[in-house]
Amino acid sequence: MEADSQQRECRTLLPHSDSTPPSPHAFDHIMSRWRRSVDGLTALRRNQWDCERAQEALSHVMSCFHQLAALLGSSADGAFLRNELEGIRALAYRICSGLSCRLLCLLSDSEPPTTGADDQQLSERLWVLFLSAAENLLSDLWKASDLIGRFPLTQPKDRHALVSTGCIDGPVGMAARVVLVQVPWVTLEEAPSPDLTSHITDLQTMLNEMQLKVPVAFWSVEATQPAWAEAHEDLDQPEESLEELMEVEVVSENKTMSACCRLHCVRSGIKEGPRKIQKALRRNI
Amino acid sequence: MTIRTVRPDRVQHIRCQMHCLKKLDVMVVEMQDPKSGVRGSEQKLNVTSIPHVITGHDVIAWISTKMKTTTEEAQAFGTMLVAYGYIYPLLNHKKLVMCNDTSLYRFQTPYFWPTHQWVAEDSDYAIYLAKKNIRKKGVLEPFEQAHYNHLHDWLNHKWDFVVMQATEQHKAGKERKKPDRVVFDCQERAYWVVNRPSRHTHSAMDCGPDRLIDPDAQNLSFDHYRRLNMFYQQAIMRSKVKSSVSLGALVKYVTTYKNHDPFLAPCLPSNPWQTDNDTYWTLNMRRVDVPTKMRVERWSFSLFELLTDLRGRDDFKVFLKKEFSGENLAFWEAAEELKWGTASSMLTKAETIFKTFLAPGAPRWINIDGRTMGLTVKGLEHPHRYVLEAAQTHVFLLMKKDTFFRYLKSPVYKDMQKKALSPEAHSFSPAQLEQNAQRRNPGIHPIILWQQEEAEKAKAAAASAPVDVKAVMSKIDRKK
Repeated sequence: MEADSQQRECRTLLPHSDSTPPSPHAFDHIMSRWRRSVDGLTALRRNQWDCERAQEALSHVMSCFHQLAALLGSSADGAFLRNELEGIRALAYRICSGLSCRLLCLLSDSEPPTTGADDQQLSERLWVLFLSAAENLLSDLWKASDLIGRFPLTQPKDRHALVSTGCIDGPVGMAARVVLVQVPWVTLEEAPSPDLTSHITDLQTMLNEMQLKVPVAFWSVEATQPAWAEAHEDLDQPEESLEELMEVEVVSENKTMSACCRLHCVRSGIKEGPRKIQKALRRNI
Repeated sequence: MTIRTVRPDRVQHIRCQMHCLKKLDVMVVEMQDPKSGVRGSEQKLNVTSIPHVITGHDVIAWISTKMKTTTEEAQAFGTMLVAYGYIYPLLNHKKLVMCNDTSLYRFQTPYFWPTHQWVAEDSDYAIYLAKKNIRKKGVLEPFEQAHYNHLHDWLNHKWDFVVMQATEQHKAGKERKKPDRVVFDCQERAYWVVNRPSRHTHSAMDCGPDRLIDPDAQNLSFDHYRRLNMFYQQAIMRSKVKSSVSLGALVKYVTTYKNHDPFLAPCLPSNPWQTDNDTYWTLNMRRVDVPTKMRVERWSFSLFELLTDLRGRDDFKVFLKKEFSGENLAFWEAAEELKWGTASSMLTKAETIFKTFLAPGAPRWINIDGRTMGLTVKGLEHPHRYVLEAAQTHVFLLMKKDTFFRYLKSPVYKDMQKKALSPEAHSFSPAQLEQNAQRRNPGIHPIILWQQEEAEKAKAAAASAPVDVKAVMSKIDRKK
């Protein structure tokens, strides 16, 4: 069945389909071209799938980096935090370099018959998303390097300069998250990762080169989901909002109030207190 | 908006009015010292307890001892620290002031400190809004909703990235321990309250346009210092005025104008820039029939004020017509036209002015002293823009010393004072202010205004043909 349909397809491709029967040599040539195009298509799709997974992994790694970088210079800063940060940064570097190579291959692949319009759109979307992610990562790296320069922890007395922000042991949860990242080439390619300043310059040059090599009109990429769509996704558990978490206990036995909000409702008994505070907080905010 | 080609930090964001930030960094770090810094304590919440909370009272006391100032100044300084985002209030997070009582504050993490090197990026704000959207299921404040919609339009090409990053950050946040999560969320919220303030709030980040060159990082050459030296030597050699004299003039100016300054006194009915209601501008237009009381009062300050306000000039003209002494003002206006007019029309204008005002036996001959008259006539042989400067000043002084005071005592002016409007102050609620902001009207089209002006000018030219003294005299003779 398949062979018949293939044969019919090949006949329609031939210039002289009616008059002379195709010679075996030309037939093989057409078949191999067809097979190559199908293989090319599957390879393309696999590449795109790899790039999408890598993009998700990069987002994941960047969110961890963001959380940790926010702790730099605060009371939770220390050697442990900075080591964690280095590890995450190295991982991000490997993902970025692999992803940039693959995206370059994907988009500078110049065989128009193999890539349909949809595939081209998908590749362009991946390109734009990667560039946005890389820019965001770059700004985070700048900030991190500036903070590390401002708060060097070379001597014990430098710890006095750390800002007491209320965070105590931030980085513990992050390490566990990062282990979950699975990107195909990260485990395979064990290239050495550079230090922070060279990472920044490498990323800058990479962005510049990418924008020079492939002309992608980034304004033609459109979002796949409409506005406000993410608000209506079901979450696993109902969340406590920040306002509820910030509620304060009321001690009203001796008519004393803890240093709480300037609300007027607080003089009531303990049972009513928290609910009234909730309501008042919601009105305030 | 676009994917910014990554520029090296080449001073596109030098915000010169924020140079105090470097000094504030040092001060905030000094506040952290365990021995001599600000005392911190624990904040007990329902679900957990978080360390490192400070009271406003302690901060202000520390600042006043450190900087050796009064409590009021220390409080103002503390408010600036909160407004810039170094310290954030815990309970009323939208109101960025430092109160001298037991209200609680916390230090902001250095990642979120203001610097003049980086501005708070739109894509970061988009990620924050999307994260808040996920957490609060669509319940955002109205100005945040407006920002969200705007960013969804402008950053549409990277919106997928924004949403992906927001979900990842949201998940990452959930994994942390509760006290740390609360602290991080508070920090982020405080950062965006400072950097994307809601409408009608004064923001400390309003620092004017960005500069291209960092003035601190310039290499000043020998030539630069040589020029500076020359400038200061010339400045020393200039004639000086005693400070008592100049300050007296300044005090007199301030006392006269202080009720008319829109910063020092409330604008009646309301300042259009603040309330988006343009009644004030419509009441004070060029050709309004009944001017406002403030405007009429302003005319009495000096002849200059009267003449620069064109509505006042009209009134003055009405008065002068009654007194049959309009030639001074006409000459003054003609001289202004010559000064500000086009170069091609200067010759013709100069000729008409000479024929109308300066020639012996001219229809509207002005009475200036001989020396000035001689200079002016000589200059008119080769007229340039400022030939009439001396004559104009003389005429101005004549009007100021004599006609102006008669005008102020005249029934014309007193009538105008009685008729003048005194509008009541508006008081808009915040909801009304929002409505006003959304319903701003574009005002009268400038072409329509220009057409009105042209029509009025034509009418005025037709009506005020120069009073020919000879014709009037001959009429009177004929009557006799």
